Amino acid sequence: MSLSTAEALTDALREEARRLLAEGTVAVVVGWEAGRFPNQTTPAFISDPEQAQRLVYGDYCVNTLAKYALGEKAAGKVAVCVRGCDSRGINRMIADNQLLRDEVYLLGLPCSGMKDPATGSLLMKCRTCTEHDAVTYDVLLGPATAAGHDGASADSSAGDSEHVSDEQRFTAVLGIEEMAPEKRRALFDAAFNKCIRCYACRKSCPCCTCRECFVDQLRAGWQGKQNNLAENRFYNITRVFHIGDRCIECGECERACPMGLPLMALNRKMVKDLKSLFNADDAGMTEENSAALGRYDLGDLEEFM
Amino acid sequence: MPVNEAPTASAATAATAATAATAFEPTILAFCCHWCTYSGADLAGLNRMSYPANVRVLRVPCSGRVNPQFVLTALNKGCDGVLVCGCHPGDCHYVSGNYFARRRLMAFKRLLEFTGLEPERFQVRWISGSEAGKFRDTVIEVCDQIRALGPYRSGVSDDVSLNG
Amino acid sequence: MILRHSSLEGLLSTLSTGARVYVPAKADGVTKFVLYSSSVRPDFSITNTTMPPKDLLFPQTQHMYRYGTDAEGVPYVEPVHDADDVIVFGMRPCDVRSIECMDDVFLTKGFVDVSYQAKRERLLMVAMACTAPAPTCFCNSMGLCPTAAPLADILLRPAGATDASGDTAYLVEAQSEKGQAALAQWESYKATDTSDADFEPVSAAVSCSLKVSMVGVKDKLEAMFDHPIWEQLSKKCITCGTCTFVCPTCHCFDISQENRLSEGTRFRCWDSCMFTAYTEMAGGHNPRASKSARVRQRFMHKLCFFEQRYGKTLCVGCGRCVEKCPVALDITCLIDQIGAADVAY
Repeated sequence: MSLSTAEALTDALREEARRLLAEGTVAVVVGWEAGRFPNQTTPAFISDPEQAQRLVYGDYCVNTLAKYALGEKAAGKVAVCVRGCDSRGINRMIADNQLLRDEVYLLGLPCSGMKDPATGSLLMKCRTCTEHDAVTYDVLLGPATAAGHDGASADSSAGDSEHVSDEQRFTAVLGIEEMAPEKRRALFDAAFNKCIRCYACRKSCPCCTCRECFVDQLRAGWQGKQNNLAENRFYNITRVFHIGDRCIECGECERACPMGLPLMALNRKMVKDLKSLFNADDAGMTEENSAALGRYDLGDLEEFM
Repeated sequence: MPVNEAPTASAATAATAATAATAFEPTILAFCCHWCTYSGADLAGLNRMSYPANVRVLRVPCSGRVNPQFVLTALNKGCDGVLVCGCHPGDCHYVSGNYFARRRLMAFKRLLEFTGLEPERFQVRWISGSEAGKFRDTVIEVCDQIRALGPYRSGVSDDVSLNG
Repeated sequence: MILRHSSLEGLLSTLSTGARVYVPAKADGVTKFVLYSSSVRPDFSITNTTMPPKDLLFPQTQHMYRYGTDAEGVPYVEPVHDADDVIVFGMRPCDVRSIECMDDVFLTKGFVDVSYQAKRERLLMVAMACTAPAPTCFCNSMGLCPTAAPLADILLRPAGATDASGDTAYLVEAQSEKGQAALAQWESYKATDTSDADFEPVSAAVSCSLKVSMVGVKDKLEAMFDHPIWEQLSKKCITCGTCTFVCPTCHCFDISQENRLSEGTRFRCWDSCMFTAYTEMAGGHNPRASKSARVRQRFMHKLCFFEQRYGKTLCVGCGRCVEKCPVALDITCLIDQIGAADVAY
């Protein structure tokens, strides 16, 4: 987005946050503030109207904020800055009965894709984003993004530039599917081998909201604590399968991963299969829970006979 | 006793490896639904049908009970293949358990294959209580396929140094 | 001794005949210390590998002993000894300092960790002075100098500028008896056309752009256990273990076992104070259940408790957590905030 757009949105955001806090509509506003380094932002939690001027909005608001609503809602109504990804995360948590729509006040923001502070180019997760603008909000700050992401759909013609095609979205998955099985095994073995199991993927995920994760059920012993290929594979595949039918494709897991695992390729494999097999909806577009693995159809494809 | 005189794990594993080189016999875990496939297996026994002893039958109340983590755990703990068997769609004792299982395991199978698992190592079949022959044929078929593939290496043997 | 960059490859392959040599390199997209072989391309320009070298002394999963019953049903327990001669080539001064901190934990105060000690005794540390600290580096503020690594056995300091031949040269100095002895193997690789006298190594003036003041931080923290700063600061933390796992000095571990039939292995593995299960007790009680308490523990341990016990901070200023934290919860910002906090000490 242009500098003037970012400044105008930041001003609008600050003013709205100040008003909401001063009027007592919300107890806290979750947004972003500048970090120590240039082009760096960090999640901000504002509960004093005087502090609202700390909020910023621009090209480097890389964190998806939805999940913070869960931690903050104890203090009262939470205002959350939402773009496409954040708002789908909120919808997802409402669908999963983690949150009530009444507990949040959504500040919709237009998004033209965030940039990687290290390189200045469009963030990986934003390149395959299908919903740039908030799908649900209480107030929309600034106009909707008409032109699509700065980089991703620059070449697509006007009209449907909002949406990244399925082909673009599933490129990585299709590429891996075409590989020979041994190559796929080698690819994922290498990835699982370098996993350090810091669980940043699970912690950053708006679908990972279990009060107790299977990983932490030490007495049940699902997950061994040793770091090796077998245990890492067990963790990663289970994680994907647990969230696969609810994944909102925000890409936050892959961004958070310090080891650069191809987590979105795994997530999107599930998304793609469920879409083609069971006509699954994209997750988080509404507050309805339509998770494909939580329901069935008598006419589902039969391949186990 | 002096601890070092105990036979080492590596010697035992080496011995297993030597025999494995000549004739590999897979270990296959079969999750069988109590209401259909388990009865089918029983019937196969009553009828004196013979099928490979490589299969270990584990009774579950319903194919819907089979958590995908069971499959991963079985593979990690040394099984070379996993078979999940349940009632035919429409016949579930709990009305819908196998419908849920069907969706879940279809997606799970594709995910495992995506990460490089051979399709034969994880299979699902609907076998009713009267299909003793189908149970036998399925076990023979799966067993032959996995014997041809060779042992499954989950990575445990390379890393967790039970063998030094 | 002067060593030219072009002779490093020969030196590394000679060294790797007698020891396991680890060099900074990129493997599968992650920079870490990789076992040297002819197919590995060491990269000495990496300022701070993503993964620190701590796993060479303190592996993420360390097998301690095997147990089981033999064919006659007699139980046995068999310790696992897996220490090899290891050379870490190209450690940064902050990484060397982190080993100093780990030595304090695992070898002093009357507690000696045998598996750490076995590995430590067979470790040769070859440090490489920094010429260009990363923007996230702040070792100066932690009392280090980017061009000095006192605990290293051998220190390599690059020349201030590339010499006429276009090749970088390093001034090699042994800093311990072990290092001195090890240098014998290096002799045949040293540059003969130049001498130490006409060599100008990178100056001590190399310094990090990121600076924080540690004045009074420890003393203030002693009075800040119940300060609201922790609640405020921890809001954005997602309690993943990234900071602790990429930290070169985080050394907490858990002990567990893997059993198979009649055999099993007891192992210890990295644990993280950011995880809920870290302090969970057998009965289910968790004395550190809240996120703020866990965040407080991590920073208190780094900046206060460790200094109380061992007289140095447990942060070496390598900046790995600053770079990798998914929510930019930055220890340097915290230090600034503590400095600014109105707390009597």
